[in-house]
Amino acid sequence: MITKTAWKNVWRNKIRSFVVVASVTVGIFAGVFAVGVMNGAVDQRVDEVLDNEVSHIQITHPDFRTNNDLKFRIDNVDELEKQISGIEGVDAVCDRLFVVGMANTARKSVGVNIIGVDPEKEKEIFGLYKELEPGTGEYFSDPEREELAYIGFDLAKNLNIIRYQINDEIIEELRSAELPEDILSGISEFDGERFDNEMSFKKAMRTVMTAKQESEYGRLILEKAQTFRERAKFTLTFVNSSNHQTGGVFRVGGIYNIPNSMFESSQVFVRDNILRRLIEFPQNTAHQIVIRLNDVDDTRAMTKKLREDFPELEVLNWKQIQPDMAMMSDFAGVMYGFFMVIILAALAFGIVNTMLMVVLERTKELGMLTAIGMNKKKVFRMIMTESVFLSLTGGVAGMVVSWIIIRITSTQGINFGSMEEGFEAMGFSAHIYPDIGVDFFLIVTLLIIITGVLSSVYPALKALKLDPAEALRTE
Amino acid sequence: MKNYKMAWRNLWRNKRRTIITASSVFFAVFFALVMRSLQLGTYDSMYKNVIESYSGYIQVQDEEFWENKIVDNVFKNTEELQEKIKEVRNVEDVIPRFESFALASSGSRSKGVLVMGIDPQKEKLLSDVEDKLVEYRLTDDAINAIKSEDIPDYLAKNMDLFAGNSYSSDGRLQIDLGIKESDAESLMPIIEKYASIDNGYFNMGDNAALVGDRLSRYLGLERGDTIILIGQAYHGYTAAGKYVVEGIVTIPNPDIDNKIVYLPVDVCQNLYYANGMLTSMVVHLRDNDDDAIDNTMERLDSKLESPYRVLGWKEMNKTLVQQLEADDKSGIIMIGILYLVIAFGVFGTVLMMTAERRREFGVLIAIGMQKTKMAGVMVYEMLYIGLLGILAGVAVALPSIIYGYHHPIHFPSKFAKIWEEYGFEPVMAFQWIDKYFLSQSLVVAIIVLVAVIYPVVKIRKLKEVNALKA
Amino acid sequence: MKKKLLTIVLFSFYCLFLTAQDATEIIKKANDKINGEESSFSIMKMTIIRPEWERTLEFKNWTKGTDYALTLITSPARDKGQSFLKRSTEMWSWNPTISRLIKLPPSMMSQGWMGSDYTNDDILKESSVVEDYIHEITGEDEIEGRLCYRIKMTAKEEAAVIWGHQVRWIDKDDYLFLKAELYDEDGYLVRTELGKNIETMDGRLIPTIMEIIPEDEEGYKTIVEIEEIEFNIPVEDGFFSQQNLKRVR
Repeated sequence: MITKTAWKNVWRNKIRSFVVVASVTVGIFAGVFAVGVMNGAVDQRVDEVLDNEVSHIQITHPDFRTNNDLKFRIDNVDELEKQISGIEGVDAVCDRLFVVGMANTARKSVGVNIIGVDPEKEKEIFGLYKELEPGTGEYFSDPEREELAYIGFDLAKNLNIIRYQINDEIIEELRSAELPEDILSGISEFDGERFDNEMSFKKAMRTVMTAKQESEYGRLILEKAQTFRERAKFTLTFVNSSNHQTGGVFRVGGIYNIPNSMFESSQVFVRDNILRRLIEFPQNTAHQIVIRLNDVDDTRAMTKKLREDFPELEVLNWKQIQPDMAMMSDFAGVMYGFFMVIILAALAFGIVNTMLMVVLERTKELGMLTAIGMNKKKVFRMIMTESVFLSLTGGVAGMVVSWIIIRITSTQGINFGSMEEGFEAMGFSAHIYPDIGVDFFLIVTLLIIITGVLSSVYPALKALKLDPAEALRTE
Repeated sequence: MKNYKMAWRNLWRNKRRTIITASSVFFAVFFALVMRSLQLGTYDSMYKNVIESYSGYIQVQDEEFWENKIVDNVFKNTEELQEKIKEVRNVEDVIPRFESFALASSGSRSKGVLVMGIDPQKEKLLSDVEDKLVEYRLTDDAINAIKSEDIPDYLAKNMDLFAGNSYSSDGRLQIDLGIKESDAESLMPIIEKYASIDNGYFNMGDNAALVGDRLSRYLGLERGDTIILIGQAYHGYTAAGKYVVEGIVTIPNPDIDNKIVYLPVDVCQNLYYANGMLTSMVVHLRDNDDDAIDNTMERLDSKLESPYRVLGWKEMNKTLVQQLEADDKSGIIMIGILYLVIAFGVFGTVLMMTAERRREFGVLIAIGMQKTKMAGVMVYEMLYIGLLGILAGVAVALPSIIYGYHHPIHFPSKFAKIWEEYGFEPVMAFQWIDKYFLSQSLVVAIIVLVAVIYPVVKIRKLKEVNALKA
Repeated sequence: MKKKLLTIVLFSFYCLFLTAQDATEIIKKANDKINGEESSFSIMKMTIIRPEWERTLEFKNWTKGTDYALTLITSPARDKGQSFLKRSTEMWSWNPTISRLIKLPPSMMSQGWMGSDYTNDDILKESSVVEDYIHEITGEDEIEGRLCYRIKMTAKEEAAVIWGHQVRWIDKDDYLFLKAELYDEDGYLVRTELGKNIETMDGRLIPTIMEIIPEDEEGYKTIVEIEEIEFNIPVEDGFFSQQNLKRVR
């Protein structure tokens, strides 16, 4: 009986019902979205490092980290990899050779880390192949061309492989980017001249514009003026396993660009077979075994297991290899947690308030009911039942809405590209990809529904205390 | 009667209703202010910690140094230069640095290292190297010795897990080994007895070096041993020097820990035949909020000319800036969500309030009140409620934030162990009262104003007959 | 008619072949002149010129074949007593200030030996002007009053050389390397090397002054002068040892 009445009541006053349902829906959406954003933001900064630079776990010879000497290698790599990939939770495994050497061009010599990889296997673990700077080539596309290497943008600059030149085409492009004419005519003085490095180009620029102009347009001009020769030649020199200086000629197959400048200016990727030949290493050996897990949260447990399985090798996870990252992500996790608490608190208060108002609005009606003899307990139950109906409805609606929005934003990302100011942007469009696990989703939803129901308890109790006579007289 | 008077009377006629509506605004303001303060304060402290520990906010360098960090691109550190810089408002001090590369050798092994010449006292304001001197080292010998004493099982187990690690403070050691508060008093003396190592710092002019922990182990160096540095000096001379290892430091970043050597800056200048010259000078500021930094930079920029160059922290920490931006954006989303929540809180309340008063409106119109007048009164009512709520919100938020400012929320150490290693305090800080107070209040005011639209519209559409039936 | 055409074609190929051969032969001869000596002892002076400063070093140099070399710096006072040993591709150095022997990794010389324009590449001389290039005579020029072959050397595809191509002038009479222009892959001139002051020393005609001029930097130059030189001195392999680095005077 009560249920029926409750149900009727719900439909009788559409506005009131709507308000309650909407509060719960919005609450769920807010909660879910907040958690999603929190995860997305925390994951994002860590992801970049994991995907491009470190991955989850690395195994090396115990002496390899302190001294990257060639001889500290791992043998029986194939067997080890087989064993590891059999472990549950492991997504992919690959191995690499690591040689410290020099990269040389006609103008510059720079110390680098030469990493010999199997490109196909690498792609399963690292996303570095996606960071290819458009127009600079490809990521190891041609197995026949062994001498092709994949180098970082900053390294290309340091080796003077990236040069700077102004020509008519570039001036036109700058014109359409609305650069003032006086600057354009200034830089056109350098038409045809080639600058081998950033410094000399900047110096030349400074002779034709003021410091203010340079800080405003300098970056754009620099970007447009960048040129390089495809498949540019350079040599890599290093010491091989017989302790002799050796090396080979390589060509730039593709250039990658990531935010981490230190990584970019030192890591050179080449095919493992050519490196193996040059350092005179046998098959089935490597310096690093890299493991990608299905779930990054398994890292700790997996590290422990691998340490037990391979006590003679050094097993490190990304938090140990890049403690800065770990620091940031740990902290961010707690920080966002706090914010979540605040949002939920605000939510709870909001719902309570709304409920209070709802009940207040019904003072007369409730007074009437008690006056005609309805048991106070029954009135209470009626209010609570209505509350439950509405909260559940809000709950379902909230789940649907937030599910859709999360789905959309987690693939598209929330793009702030248009909000980025000036030319300070380093080509980093801050996409936030909200992400939420099913468990969190359900927990948040449940929490909010319960809040909705509970928050009507106080007002309902208050309503009962009303004197029916007084209540009837309310307007 | 004037609208505003009527509105005021209406408010107090039904106290309960007024209070409920006003509290929705109150909560809105309170939460918005607290959250924003926490956000801004926390981001700030997080990033300031990182910046202050290495690059500092502003540096002066030779104009060619940043792009080409070779020893030839040093600048003369003259009295005149220092005075010029210190004269600028907000500049507290200048901290000299000489950074270069060398080959370090201990006889049996050699390795390419980063040489950092520092002012032993002034550097404490920046990377505080002294704080990172190793106090304890869990060598195999030390562990075995400790195990020979009467210690709890968990300690023995944990020591094995962390064998080989070095610690620069009690706190970090205790966290790693999971030493309980209650056990600390009894266990620490044992650990000190076997695992503590003798360490020291240096002064200007000392022919001494501080070596990174991992580097010292690779080169097989202990306190008192000699380290050789050889490299290329200014103008192509050969830089070569012998130094006594005075102390071993542990730097959280392993990539740096395994190749860093500190020298007193004057000794370092000597090594590179660059007496009186520096690779960079960090400008230590009194006030380090964003505007102050920018203004100081501008002033320095106009005072110093070629060959000097003024660099700001943003330029020197590009990755950090990106992280900041990303954080800021997710922060804005979080605040946006909060607004959504509080807006609904306000709307919901106003909606219900309007519904509750339908009869009242109907009656008033029936007896002849103009709809416009009623709407006008409504607007005033909402304005009062809004004002009330905002004032109450600010009144409560102010002391809360002030308290929070002086008592930042400390993290449980477990979460922020690595934070501690860097020497940062893991806290969530509150931002002091600032522009955001105004902007947040404004947003809430706007929400209230938008909320007014509903009742006003409702009034206009009201059909007295239906309203009376309510 | 066809026969005639064929003959002409074949003949031209033959001539081309001959010239190519000749070009390589010429380079080989010139190279042998420098590197063909069994051993040598020389006293040299190196001046490093930069826009803002100038520095002069004096040193004694012993070589045996192409694999062994030992250098002792005799002036200025700051650098005096430093010695360097090259054994095939390894470099060692003795420094009297710190009384230590150190093995030098290539990265130590990325800025040039002792701050000069002599790069790691130059010192280790890993690439071969003969083996790693395709040679072609492109003409004749007069350098230092002598008539020289002008030979264009294009780097072979697989050769581990950093240059795109080189142009070298070799004296027709005595096969001396008198000038070299080193170009990058894009054909931009990176470095010029000059041989001057051709004199007879120890019975050989050699350029006694060598200049290295990097093209990119204004006012950069390194000048090496041979003050004395003796060829085919009696010297044991054992002379080129780490122990000797400390002892050599």
